[in-house]
Amino acid sequence: MKKIALALIGMVATGAISCSKSDTVDKGGTDFNTLKNTFITDFVNKTAITGYNDLAQRSATFNDKVTIFKGAPTEENLAAAKQAWRDMRSTWEQCEGFLFGPVEDDNLDPGMDTWPVDRVQLDSVISSSNPLEITDIQGLALSLRGYHPIEYILWGADGKRKAADINAREMKYITSLTLDLKNVCQQLSSSWIPSGGDYGSKLLTAGNGGILYHKKQDVYTAVVSAMASICEEVGNNKMKEPFDQRDGMKVESPFSGNSLTDFKNNLIGAYNVYTGNFLGNKGVGLDQVVAAKNTSLDKDLQEKFQAAINSFNAITVPYEVAIGSQRTQCAQVMTAINELQGVLNTQLKKFVVDNITD
Amino acid sequence: MQIKKIYVVALLLASPMLLMMCRRADTFDESGYDPQLSGGESTVFDITSKAFGHSIPGLNANDQHAHDLGDEQSDQTFVTAPAPVNSGLGPIYNNVSCKSCHHNDGKGNPTTGLNTSSMLVRVSIPGSDENGGPLPVPGFGLQLQDLAIYGKQPEAKVNIVYTDQNVIYPDGTITVLHKPAYILLNPYQPLPGNVMLSARMAPPFFGLGLLDMIPESAIIGFAAQQASDNKGISGRPNYVYDPVAGKKLLGRYGMKANTATLLTQVAAAYQQDMGITSRVFPKESSYGQPQYDGRNDDPELQDTILDATVFYIKTLAVPARRNTTDPQVKQGEVLFAQTGCASCHIPTVQTGTDVRFKALSNQRIHPYTDLLLHDMGAGLADGRPDFLAGGSEWKTPVLWGIGLFERTNGIPYYLHDGRARSLPEAILWHDGEAAASRRQFIQLSASERDNLVLFLKSL
Repeated sequence: MKKIALALIGMVATGAISCSKSDTVDKGGTDFNTLKNTFITDFVNKTAITGYNDLAQRSATFNDKVTIFKGAPTEENLAAAKQAWRDMRSTWEQCEGFLFGPVEDDNLDPGMDTWPVDRVQLDSVISSSNPLEITDIQGLALSLRGYHPIEYILWGADGKRKAADINAREMKYITSLTLDLKNVCQQLSSSWIPSGGDYGSKLLTAGNGGILYHKKQDVYTAVVSAMASICEEVGNNKMKEPFDQRDGMKVESPFSGNSLTDFKNNLIGAYNVYTGNFLGNKGVGLDQVVAAKNTSLDKDLQEKFQAAINSFNAITVPYEVAIGSQRTQCAQVMTAINELQGVLNTQLKKFVVDNITD
Repeated sequence: MQIKKIYVVALLLASPMLLMMCRRADTFDESGYDPQLSGGESTVFDITSKAFGHSIPGLNANDQHAHDLGDEQSDQTFVTAPAPVNSGLGPIYNNVSCKSCHHNDGKGNPTTGLNTSSMLVRVSIPGSDENGGPLPVPGFGLQLQDLAIYGKQPEAKVNIVYTDQNVIYPDGTITVLHKPAYILLNPYQPLPGNVMLSARMAPPFFGLGLLDMIPESAIIGFAAQQASDNKGISGRPNYVYDPVAGKKLLGRYGMKANTATLLTQVAAAYQQDMGITSRVFPKESSYGQPQYDGRNDDPELQDTILDATVFYIKTLAVPARRNTTDPQVKQGEVLFAQTGCASCHIPTVQTGTDVRFKALSNQRIHPYTDLLLHDMGAGLADGRPDFLAGGSEWKTPVLWGIGLFERTNGIPYYLHDGRARSLPEAILWHDGEAAASRRQFIQLSASERDNLVLFLKSL
């Protein structure tokens, strides 16, 4: 994300020259223009809206499971609540493959995924006489809301909490937190659809009177930039900082030991955008658009995505442990992600400038 | 030999002249430069929401590491002490991380006291302190912290009430201005009756390394030029006490040019906005007040983290202009100059020599500022002096990147307190020294006004 600078001037210039190329037809016989337009439609309807809708549904399930657990605090119900947290987290981390629009404009990302947990304040809130209703929760700092305070209570600081360890105040707190989370996810889901905030239409009107995205190229640029940004976030921030400092306390999602799954899902999220495939809802992906003009770039990107995603398999212990005991494997993952990010930031951005000219 | 000597002497004589010529921004014809390069070599081509977050080119691996570390740090959420990570928030504060206010390295929302707020309120009482700065309000200091950790009280809550004012152009078009009033609610202890308020929005982070490199002589030169032009524009520099230098320096940062260096600016934001102490400001913002935490953990921020954050901000590139060949944009640019906007929003400035970063050194940049204070009239006045800046004076803000606020922020807000919801509104708030420019803007035809705004959106 950060090192592109002036190199792109040249690309813009070459883009202006190459835009006179005649449109080609891909192997399946689809006209490039159709592919180019369908990618935008499918990204909106089959990736973004599908993804956020799934997130909203999983947040409702999670809220239900926590409510059931509150009513009957058994080990089985605790396990079900934890699984629902992981399920929801999986979709959220994949949705981070396209972090632009209302999720950032309306601060919905920090609204549900602020880290670290403010444990001192959390203890104060729990031991206070605060009623802990949803309206009380909404007035709290973001480090007391969202995924991680819930994770902290469900798993405990050592990840070994039992159902009986969770007291009534904590139960009340997390049921309000999961309701708050559900509300935020529903707001996010609604923000993209025509009956809600209709952010999707801002992308769909690109090149056709669109105000925010004037050109189709603007949509492609935003999508590719978001893919590169999540690689940067995982490879250079979330993994690198605890790795460099050999400090497990700096790892996100440490209580549940879910960090590696989170990281991998971030990469899968970017890959979903590339292949136009979210939760089996297959549409035209960037891969088809790229392959129609440059098969070797598509091949390179497919390989680099696979290499980055599969590189996680070499780490066999939770990340906070792996930064001590499996440093080589951790470094290999970051290298694979950086290589992917490099191609996204250079060749794929250049491809967009060269080929998506309207 | 003789010829060679003459040649060498001539070259020696010519070199300083050449250097002097090169230091002037307008030596060569405008058409010889690419108008897209707002930050000279420190320009980045990105129109996405991340446009303000790129490093300047040419950083070596070590520098890139420092930049990336600062980037990470500016994103970190602070939590209440004692904590294993990011300890020390508050006990009173305005927000929990740099980027909570500086959304996408840019601006944010003109609200106060919410997790999503990007605005704070400075306070003082009449008079000045021993260094000529504003006089702190006893028990409150120089900034209202409108959030507090659980169990402590915010110093006060700030309620913003807007009233509408219509501006009618000669062609009958109406623009509605939105005038804010700031009302303090629930102070944790009584506020004196003579308290003065100044609401200010978080400004974008980028391009500050270039502003840092504008020679002081150039800034003073702008003031001299405006005085000799005798057109009612009378910019003047602010000189402010810098706690690191221990003396007064030219102010460059802050809405009233009330801070001299990036180090002091960043350290003050950590301490005042988040309650995070550092070597520059080792005492809590609440020190000496009833809500002081009394913890023996200061400074809470490691020197290296503070320095990395300063480095990050210093090395953020400026986004390139768009649509610079569009005829409407070009007409807008001409009108921008003709209506006198460019007298203060100086389009082209040359940075001085920097031995550390080539991309900041001797760059021909387009910040659209003179970094001087100007009387902007009663409508924008906060009535709160800040060192030499009077109650109706504000520093000319940069305009680079202003056309990308919709991308970086969703909804754009303009001016020091985000009261303007559109660029025409922002222009119509100009008064005082800018009253003539405002009048000329109103007299333009609708299409000319649109083109002027299109020009601004190309920045």
